[in-house]
Order: sequence, then structure tokens, then C-alpha cells
Amino acid sequence: MKFFLSYIPLFELALFNMLLAFSQYVVLRAGVFSLGTAAFAALGAYTSAILATKLGMSPWIGMAASLVLGAIAGALVAIPLARLRGVFQALATLALVQIMLSITLNWVDVTEGALGINGIPRSVGLFGMFCAVVVVGYFLAVIGASSIGRAFDVIREDETVAVSLGISVPKYHLIAFILSGSIAGFAGGLHAFSSYSITPNEYGFHMLVMVLAMVVLGGRVSVWGPVVGAAILTVLPELLRGFQEYRMVMQGAVLMFAIVFLPRGIVDTAKNIWRARRVAASEAAKTKAVTV
Amino acid sequence: MKALCLSDVSRSFGGLPAVDGLTLTAPAGRVTGLIGPNGAGKTTVVNLITGLLKVGRGRITVGERDVTEASASALARAGVARTFQNIRLIADATVLENVVAGFHRHETTGVLSNLFGLPSSFAERRRLEEKAGALLERFGMTAFAAHPAGSLSYGHQRRIEMMRALAMDPSVLLLDEPVAGMNDSEAHSLAEIFRDVAGQGVAILLIEHNMRFVMSLCTHIYVLASGRLISDGDPEEVGRDPKVIEAYLGS
Repeated sequence: MKFFLSYIPLFELALFNMLLAFSQYVVLRAGVFSLGTAAFAALGAYTSAILATKLGMSPWIGMAASLVLGAIAGALVAIPLARLRGVFQALATLALVQIMLSITLNWVDVTEGALGINGIPRSVGLFGMFCAVVVVGYFLAVIGASSIGRAFDVIREDETVAVSLGISVPKYHLIAFILSGSIAGFAGGLHAFSSYSITPNEYGFHMLVMVLAMVVLGGRVSVWGPVVGAAILTVLPELLRGFQEYRMVMQGAVLMFAIVFLPRGIVDTAKNIWRARRVAASEAAKTKAVTV
Repeated sequence: MKALCLSDVSRSFGGLPAVDGLTLTAPAGRVTGLIGPNGAGKTTVVNLITGLLKVGRGRITVGERDVTEASASALARAGVARTFQNIRLIADATVLENVVAGFHRHETTGVLSNLFGLPSSFAERRRLEEKAGALLERFGMTAFAAHPAGSLSYGHQRRIEMMRALAMDPSVLLLDEPVAGMNDSEAHSLAEIFRDVAGQGVAILLIEHNMRFVMSLCTHIYVLASGRLISDGDPEEVGRDPKVIEAYLGS
């Protein structure tokens, strides 16, 4: 039990990362190359932290506000970016992260600048984080199996086909941005209420790269992709603790291996292999039936 | 019953005319042919009709509706379906999933019930899979429903594209070289399906290289060369036209 308790912070971090990875996953699934997750998470974290410490509001209100503000921010970003694709979307959303970072660093009256906001009442624990991951994951699985998920998949694979089937790409990109913004905002709120303090640099370039890596490693079609990716990339650095300075090198190597040999990510590759096997097995059964 | 009409449609790329003053009518319930040598501008015509390319000059109408300025997705929702010359499927998705995607314009569940997984969202999925299953049966592809589309042969992939287009229940159907790379018996079975679809009141515009296939299927044929209409008429007239023979042999 003691052994387990000492790992609680690690589990909490893994769950937080899963939520961020969900936010990144939903845009990538829809074929949007958004890097805005870190910015939406910062918005959510600061919203919750400010409401709790300066206005003394309950965590429930804080987290709801984080989620709603994240969704609004997602919608506001989606509209001007509707005409951008691929690397231009990435650059524009990267700028969003920079803007958020300079606001949290320089608007000292509200955000306490580089020192960050301290003394946030800890009101979310491991169980709360776990419930949040289950609820968001279930939600995304339901959406993924619906008409929205089908439209996301066609847009991601071939936008020309999507429009020729009558799918309105701006509409589904808007939905993806709103989902991504609200999930990341919610995750940021949970993080604020589970970690006593938040600082601007937590929500910077490092988070952006890490979250993107989780989805690339795990996969971007199945909802399990971000879960697996986040679990691996949270636990791996801990396992490599003994290697100290080589830690980043090994983490980078794992990622490069995944990109080269598993370009669809672990979960989606595994799913494809499993399905191909099942099809082959049913074929074999049929030919056997014919020859007998 | 809606006809597709192009009147004096032109489009050029960097000053070079790709389609020049094309006037054409594809009436409902018929298969109309559009043929021409390589580089004649046939695929450009399809892209202009479907709104993937903007029309430079002229007018395109579907039934009474002027669709010259309509966006590609609005046109598809209005019932203009197409297949692609180079097959475009979701290779990793199953055959059934690819066909279900074609039903998008008939989906009726709202965004909110999809977001919250209300029963109507699941019911719709089942309903569409059943309808897709019926299409698969018609094309003799039921056994392949669970196969990834990318793993199948060329001829089968062509059929999947066709089923996806028919899933849209279109009023205008544009077929860009649908039997390219198929053998005669495969082409023959598709011809039956096209006749059948046209018989239900769909206006079909068939763009094709295979002259024999076009001649056997179309009631009216337009011949394009270097973006211009050089001949049109029933299959026999066009087949005899010296300009058509010259355009085909000269290229």
C-alpha cells in the first residue's frame, strides 16, 4: 500500500496527460493540425486558479468555467483559422500558445507573472482525475462512433472526398476545435485544483511537444490511442530515472522509432493487424468449407 | 427529376484554356457520354460541375437551380455525386464504413444528439449500416463488408466508390472513367447497374475512354478535344464524325 501511495503523483500526472492527449487527439482525428492544447489548458488552469484564490469560488464553479471558457476559446480560434490547413494551422495555433504564455507572464496583477499562482486549495485527487478521464474518454468514444466521428475520419483521410460527399469541413473543424478547447480547459482546471500551484512555463512549448508526441505514439483514430500514448510517455521517464542525462535521448529515440515503424501509432496499428488477421481467418474458413 | 445543364462554361489555367465554351445537357433518366482524347479537359469539366474548381465564365444549373457559384459540399448536399478517376477511398476503413460515409447528406440526427450519444445517434448508425448492406448485396460485395477497402482489388475498389456515390441517392451522378482497368464482364455488369440507376430518374454523365462501353450505354455523346466541343449526337453520328476520328487518331 505504501508503495502504491508513493506513486500517486505519477498516476495523477498520467491521468492529467491523458486528458491533454484527448484534447490533442480530437483535433488530429478531424484532420486539424492544431497545437493549441497547451494554450487552452493554460486558460483553464488560470481561470480555475483565479476564481478559487481571488474570488474564493468553489472548485465546481472553477472547473465549469474552465471548460466553458476553453470551448469559447476553441470556437473563437476556429473561425479565423477555417481557411488554413496543415503546417499553417500548426503555426497559427503555436502563436496562440505564445500569446497565452506572454499574457500569463506579463499580466502580473491578475496572474502573478512568472511566480505563478500559489495556495490553490487542493480539491481534486486521484479518484477525481480518474473519473474525469473515464467520462471524457467515454464521451469521445460515443462521438467517434457517431456521424461526427465518421465525418472527422473522411476529412482527415481525404478532404476532397469529404466535400464531394457533402461534408462541410469548416463545420466539423469548428466542432473539433470546440471539443479540443473544452477538454484542455477542463484538464487545466483539474490540474490547478490538484497541484496547489501553477506557473506559466508549465503550459509552454514542452507541454505542446509532449502532448503531440503522446497522440503520435498512441494513435489518432481509436480513443485508446491517446490513453496508451500518455501512459507510456508519462511512465517512461520514471523508468529511465537511472539513466539521468540520457533520459531525453532515449525518449526521443522511442518517439522516432514509433514515427518510422508505426506511423499510425501503437493502438491503430494493432487494431489494423488484428482486423486483417480476423478477415484472413474468415477467408480461410470459407475456402476450407468450399474444398470440403 | 433534374437535368444537369452547362451553358458556355469556360475555365483557363494561367491563360491556357482548359475548357472553352462548353454547352452540354445531361437529362434525367439518361446516361450521357463525355469522351475525348487525353488532356481534352474531361476531368476539369467534372471538377467544375462539382465545384472543386471555380467556373471562369458561363452557367451551370441542376434542375432549376443555378449552382455556378455553389461550394463543393453544398453541391453534394444538393444531390450531385461523383466518382474519381484515381480511386479515392479510406484505405484503412472497412468496405461497409466507406459506403456508410456516402449517406452523410441523408443523416438527420442533430449535432447535440451525436455529441451526447443519444439513442437516435446509435439508431441512425444501425439504419445506415443496413442501407449500406443492401447496396453491398446489389453489387455482390457482401462477403467483403468487413475487409479494409485498401486491401481489395482495383475492380472491387471501383465498386466501393460507386456504392458510396449511390449511397448519396443523387439526382446527378458524374462517373469519371468508372470502368478503367476492368475486364469486359466486370464492365458489363456495371453497365447494367448504370442503366438501372438512370432508369430511376438520375441524370448520369459518363466520362470514359473505353469507346465501346460509351457507345453501348449512352443515348447522347459529347466529344471534347483541347477543351472545346468538337462533336455531339447519338453514338452512331459521333462514331462516323471525321473530326472525332481525327481527334482520337491524331493524339
